[in-house]
Amino acid sequence: MPAPDPLGPRVALHLLSRAGYGPRPGEIARVLDHGLTKWIEEQLDPQPDSELSSRLSRFTTLDYTTARILALTNADPRATGVVLDELASAKVIRAVHGRNQLQELLTDFWFNHFNVFVNDGFDRYAITAYERDAIRPHVLGRFRDLLGAASLHPAMLYYLDNYLNTLPRRVGGRVVGGINENQGRELLELHTVGVDAGYAQGDVVEASRVLTGHGIDNLTTSGGYLFRSGSHDTGAKQVFGLSLPSGGGAEEVEKLFDHLAIHPATARFLSKKLAQRFVSDDPPEALVARVADVFLRSGGDLAQVVRGLFGSADFWAEAFVTRKPKTPFEYVVSALRAAGAEVANPAAIRRALADMGQPLYACNPPTGYSNRGADWLNPSSQLARMNFALDLASGAMTGVTANARSLVRDAGGNPDDPRSAAETINRQVFGGTLRAETLSAAARVASTGSVPVAARVGGLLLASPDMQVR
Amino acid sequence: MSWDPSRRVFIREAGLAAVGIGLAPSSLMVRSARAAGAGERVLVKVFLRGGADGLNLCAPYADSEYYNLRGAIALPRPGSAGGVINLDGYFGMHPEFSPLLPFFDDGRLAFVHAVGNPQVTRSHFDAQDFMESGTPGDKGTATGWLDRAIARIPGSQVTQAVSFSSQLPRSFLGPEPVLVAQTLAAFDLRARNWRAEAETLLRVMYEADRTAVGATGRETFEAVNALLSAPASPPANGAVYPNASVGSSLRQAAQLIKAGLGTRAIFVNVSGGFDTHSNQLQNNSNDYRPLGQALAAFATDLGGLLDTVALLVTTEFGRTAAVNGAAGTDHGTGYCMMVLGGRVRGGRVLGRWPGLSRSLLYQERDLAATVDWRDVFQELARAQLGIAESLFPGYTPGPGVGVTT
Repeated sequence: MPAPDPLGPRVALHLLSRAGYGPRPGEIARVLDHGLTKWIEEQLDPQPDSELSSRLSRFTTLDYTTARILALTNADPRATGVVLDELASAKVIRAVHGRNQLQELLTDFWFNHFNVFVNDGFDRYAITAYERDAIRPHVLGRFRDLLGAASLHPAMLYYLDNYLNTLPRRVGGRVVGGINENQGRELLELHTVGVDAGYAQGDVVEASRVLTGHGIDNLTTSGGYLFRSGSHDTGAKQVFGLSLPSGGGAEEVEKLFDHLAIHPATARFLSKKLAQRFVSDDPPEALVARVADVFLRSGGDLAQVVRGLFGSADFWAEAFVTRKPKTPFEYVVSALRAAGAEVANPAAIRRALADMGQPLYACNPPTGYSNRGADWLNPSSQLARMNFALDLASGAMTGVTANARSLVRDAGGNPDDPRSAAETINRQVFGGTLRAETLSAAARVASTGSVPVAARVGGLLLASPDMQVR
Repeated sequence: MSWDPSRRVFIREAGLAAVGIGLAPSSLMVRSARAAGAGERVLVKVFLRGGADGLNLCAPYADSEYYNLRGAIALPRPGSAGGVINLDGYFGMHPEFSPLLPFFDDGRLAFVHAVGNPQVTRSHFDAQDFMESGTPGDKGTATGWLDRAIARIPGSQVTQAVSFSSQLPRSFLGPEPVLVAQTLAAFDLRARNWRAEAETLLRVMYEADRTAVGATGRETFEAVNALLSAPASPPANGAVYPNASVGSSLRQAAQLIKAGLGTRAIFVNVSGGFDTHSNQLQNNSNDYRPLGQALAAFATDLGGLLDTVALLVTTEFGRTAAVNGAAGTDHGTGYCMMVLGGRVRGGRVLGRWPGLSRSLLYQERDLAATVDWRDVFQELARAQLGIAESLFPGYTPGPGVGVTT
């Protein structure tokens, strides 16, 4: 990795904030000791995390099939609330406490790329399986596998209406069913080649014809994938350079996925999105081209693609360090990690995310949430971030334990002295990168008051502009 | 981003002085803004995300093709159970809009039909982008059309442009300050027993940050202080807002207008089930019920102040003229706008109706667009914000559809 020389806390902070959700107290020094390259290699090859598993063990529904969740719901509709609560809670706890930071971040990224909406009917019951089975196993695998798993998962087939996409049939003089273009369009526009790839309305219709018949077995009992050959359009098709002769069946969609997954337009589209996530809202053209090249040469191997990103000079370039505004989720998780917080019940955290405009699993349109940090800057969200920081540091957040006093004291600082507290937190979680004005303002808190000095200093630093960027 | 973020926020001298002594900007400043803002005209844009179907929003029930094309999702004729509400003997509005009938009848609500743009795209995201940048076909425009509008009128307080949404909408993207909020309730720092200290020190930190992050922080404190001094005003004239996000947004929009904080442009984001690829009748009812109730409550609540307001309801495109295989409709072209306001030339369906016979449909599938939305946007900006020059680079808007007086 062409990490800058000399390596120092600033470089380690950058890596932890870009390839993960930011450092926990003291982690910057530990990663420097351990070696940055080694840390990256470990992140690219995630191993079981037994500590995280034990934190998640009480969320029993994370392992349930959709059929089992449907059965529970059919027996007692209140079960759905528990299922969704566990799903969202697990997401927060994985990000805050998990060792495999890159895997968590990529699961979030690819879920968002293949977004489905938790409040969309059947998806309430299928979303747990969707993330676990269709997204998570593939985020460091091949894009082709991810594309196939996500596209044909019942959660996606429902969300984009493909379970209703059928060959029109004539039944006693009436036409029944017909093409539904929703998933055919988003397959091209959002999931693979991108809107500027040059396809036409005709390609959307043809892709939709390929997708006919791919549906869901039963929406209230099994909730499983089912191909109905009688609903499939067997005519010849032409989709964006792919010719399919007449007489085809379920395998046609696999050929289409093969065609789209390694298309140069897909490589470009995905590489730009990844570069936006990891480097800059407006990534350099040369970087996008280089990553797209890795994508094509590796046949869409996503671990190679991410490795290529981390190996680029742009990833480490000074011009992009602490320039990218965090999304609400990135901000909240990074603040919890910085505070050394223990999350027992994330309910308050999830409410705060909704206040900031990013409720978990609840992005309605298929675009997913914006990948551009600048899109998340606005006064309402900013106020919610400041209040989150102040609540967190003062221990006022239900279900979350964070103690600014002990954080400062354990690192050898004096929690009752504003300057000592500010400098200790700067060293422990900001790698000494705080702006002089930020540090001196935090050190100016009154040394007396009903809210402890360390809580006020910590709250201000977590609310500071320095904390809003990565 | 090609615009300079530091221009996005301006901190007035009074605000800066207050930082030094740890006080909120004086309420004097807010009072002067209020005096300046009282009675000024306001433009409200309500954006239905997802491509709301115009043919069931304002149905051409007298066009027999409507029933041929729509089949099971056609709305019955006026007078039938679940039928449309007759507007002019040809068009009828969706039955869930019954609370709006008094406003149509007294000429304060108009419909503009078959709106669209020659640069047709059936991508939600491109269509929204083009409509909000105001430059169809050009994705490179750095600003939104409402940002350019706000830049042309005097005043620069953060409450001049307000968006009820979770993110800054593309329409407002650009150098002008905008208050973006999902809710204005409890819009204050939570720092019990040390609020003044927290605000003072955070202001110092954000003042030192010259990036867009610092600018946002400075806007935040300006907004907090402006809103803290705004008088609370419960809905007036017996107005009852529905318990839905569009209700809460329009209730707060009315509060802002009544508070006289100099607000000139308000954006209301509505994300419901407008993308009706399936089960359209139920989805439309679910969305149009709170929308109709909220619009009627807004008009009632404002009373005489409605004379200062023009509220536009728009979406990114219409939907296919024919029903699809799932009792829904796919992405289309021409759609229908609604315009509500005291000086609106209402009580009519404006625009030029292209007809629904197959040869008249755009690409034989969508309601054709005969009115360019840029013409209507400009007409409203002219009437409400006094802007004569084009807000749309490379385009000279026509006179509009005569929806304003």
